[in-house]
Amino acid sequence: MRAILNTHKLIAFVVTITLAALFYVNQQALVYQIGLKVKENQQTCSKLVDHNRILVYNVLNLKSPVTLETKLLAEEVELDMPHKWQVVKIGSSPDKNFRQNAAKRGLFANLFVIGREAEASPNTN
Amino acid sequence: MCRKTLNKLIAPRIKKVLYSLVVLFVLLAVRLFCVQLGAAKPLSKLASDQYKTFSRLLPRRGMIYDRNLRELAVSINLDSVFIDPALVEDRHSAADKLSAVLEEDPEEILKKIDNKKRFAWLARRIETQAVNDIKRLSIKGIGFTKEPKRVYPNDALASHVLGFVGLDDEGLEGIELLYNQYLTGTVGWIYSIRDAKKREVPGYEYREISPADGNDVVLTIDSVVQAFAEKELERSFKKYNAKGGMIVVMEPYTGDILALANRPTFNPNKIGDYPVEARRNRVVCDFFEPGSSFKIVTATAVVEEDVMGMDDELYCENGEFKWSMHTYHDYKPYEWLKFRDIIKYSSNIGTMKSALKVGDRRLYRYIKRFGFGNKTDIDLPGEVRGIIRPTNEWSKLSLCSISMGQEVTVTALQLACALSSVANGGFYVKPRIVTRVQDKTGYVIEKFEPRKLHRVMSGETSEKVREILRGVVAEGTGMRAEVKGYSPAGKTGTAQKVEEDGRYSHRKFMSSFIGFLPYNDPKFVVVVLMDEPRPIYYGGTVCAPVFKEVAEQLMRYYKIEPTS
Repeated sequence: MRAILNTHKLIAFVVTITLAALFYVNQQALVYQIGLKVKENQQTCSKLVDHNRILVYNVLNLKSPVTLETKLLAEEVELDMPHKWQVVKIGSSPDKNFRQNAAKRGLFANLFVIGREAEASPNTN
Repeated sequence: MCRKTLNKLIAPRIKKVLYSLVVLFVLLAVRLFCVQLGAAKPLSKLASDQYKTFSRLLPRRGMIYDRNLRELAVSINLDSVFIDPALVEDRHSAADKLSAVLEEDPEEILKKIDNKKRFAWLARRIETQAVNDIKRLSIKGIGFTKEPKRVYPNDALASHVLGFVGLDDEGLEGIELLYNQYLTGTVGWIYSIRDAKKREVPGYEYREISPADGNDVVLTIDSVVQAFAEKELERSFKKYNAKGGMIVVMEPYTGDILALANRPTFNPNKIGDYPVEARRNRVVCDFFEPGSSFKIVTATAVVEEDVMGMDDELYCENGEFKWSMHTYHDYKPYEWLKFRDIIKYSSNIGTMKSALKVGDRRLYRYIKRFGFGNKTDIDLPGEVRGIIRPTNEWSKLSLCSISMGQEVTVTALQLACALSSVANGGFYVKPRIVTRVQDKTGYVIEKFEPRKLHRVMSGETSEKVREILRGVVAEGTGMRAEVKGYSPAGKTGTAQKVEEDGRYSHRKFMSSFIGFLPYNDPKFVVVVLMDEPRPIYYGGTVCAPVFKEVAEQLMRYYKIEPTS
C-alpha cells in the first residue's frame, strides 16, 4: 500500500516538474518571440525614419535656390526681386481699426453698432 | 524451455551489452575529460564567436546650417551591399545579374565574388531603388548594412565653405574638417547573442550603449545671399572667360561672412567628378598683388597722419613719373589733382607722391594695422598670410610700388576685412563664419561672438576715407558699381600678374572691385575678384557690375530703405 502511495507521489512530482518545466520553456519561447517582434518593429521604425530623412533631403534639394533657379531658367522663366516701384505698401487694414475701435466701445455698445458685414473667421482652436 | 535455461542463454548477452556500455561511457568520460582540460578554451571561443556578437553603432554626423537654420549639410543612412562568396552558388550568373543593377563591369564584380575571404563589399551607400532591385534577384550570400552618407541639398552652393567628407565620414575640407570633432559624435555598441538564423536574441545577455549623435554647426552664411552672389559671380566668370573668380559678402560691424564663393567650384555630392584645382578655396588660400584696391591703405595713412588735406593738390606729371631710375605711368595722364581725386581717378603717380609724404615706416604700420601679412584666423582651413616684407627689406622703389598695390600680396578675405575697417568707423573686426555649435535640442555648446580686435584709424578718418571712396563710384573709376538710392562706395583694382620670368604681364590681370553700401551707414562689404578675365580686364568694367548686381539684391532681400 505504502509502495503504491510512494509511486503516486513520485508520478505527481514528476508530472508537476514536467509541467513547470514546460511552462517555463513556453514562457521563454514567448519572451523570445515578443523580443523578436519588438526588434522587428524597431527595425521597421528605423527604416521608416531613414526613409523619412531621405525624403526630407529630397524636399530640401528640390526647394534649394540652386535647383529652383536651374528649373526656372530651363523653362525660361526669369524671376527677380521686385523693385521699389513695383511694391505697393498698404497701411493698417480697416478690419484692424474696426477691432481696435470695438475694443474701445465696450461689449454693450458693440451690440448696437452696425459697422461691418458678418464674416467667417478662422477657427483658432 | 524452462526459465533457468532461458536465463543461462540471456545473461551472458546482457552482460556483454552492459560491459560494452560501461566501456563506451568510460571512453566518453575520458573524451569529455580531455575536451574539458585540453580543448575547452578554443571550443568555447568558437561557440561564443558563433552566437555572441559585438557590433558598433555609428552616430549620425551633425548638420551644418546657415544663419537662418536652413540645412546646408545633412546625413542620411543608405544601404551598403556586401557578399559572402562562400555562399554564392552560381558566381558567373550572380555577377551578370548584379552588374546590371549596379551598373558595373561583370568582371569587376566577379573579382569581388572570387575573393577567398568570407566578406567583400559590392557597393557602398547605394540608392533605395537599387537595394530593392538586388533583393529581388534573390542571390544567396548577399547582405545589406546601413551606413551614413553625407549629402548636401544645395549641391555646389557654398561648397568651399562646407568642404566635404571621405568614405569613412571624416571631414576632409572646409567646415567639415575644422569642426570634425563637434560634428562626428561618439560611437555606441551592442553586445548580444544571435540564433541560428543570425537574428539578435533580445533579452539574453543584451547590452547596448547608444551612440551620441554629432552636434550641429550654425554658420554666418545666408544661403539666399550665397545663391545670388554665386549666380552673379558665375555669370561674370563665364562672360569674361576668367581663370578664377572670388566673391565675399561681409557685415562690416560684426565680421559675419554672409557669402563666400569661388570659381571654379565643385559639387561635394560628386566630389570625384571635379579636379583638385576646383576644390581650392581661393578666398583664403590664394594670395595676389591687389593693385589699386590697395590704395585704401595709402589713403587712410595720408588722412590719419594728416600729411595732406582732402583738397590739397598734387602734380601728377602728365602720366609719366621717374623715380629712382624707374618710370611709372598712369593709365590716363593727369596734371594737378586734389588728393580726393587722386583716389577717385586711381592715379598711380598721385598715390605714390602722397605715399612719399607718409614715408615707408608709417605706411608699413598702416599695412599691418589693416591686417595684411597676418592670417585673419577665420575658421576655414588652408588660410595663407600673404607677403608683406618688413621695411628693412624694401628697395628704393618699394614705397611707391606698395602704395599702389604692387610688391605686396594679399588674400581676398584680407581685403574684405580691411575694407570693413574703413566701413565700420575704424575697427579691425575678426571675420566670423561660425556663430555657434549646438546639440540636437538646440542647446548651445559653444558660441562665437563677433570680435573687434583693434583700432585701425580714427572715426573721423574713416568718415573721410568713405567719402573719398564714394567719389570713386559716383564720378571715378567705379561708376558701374552705382546702385541708385543706396550710395555705394568702393575702389577698383586692375593688377598686372607676374609672369614666370618675373616681369609684369601685359596679358594677365587680376581685376577687383571692393566696396560697401550705403556709404554713410555701411551694412555690407562686397569684394569681387576675377583672375585673368578676357578680353576686358579692368576692375571697373569686369567686377564693378557684379558688385552692383549683388548689392542691389542685398538691399531688396534685406528690405533696406534707400538713403538718397
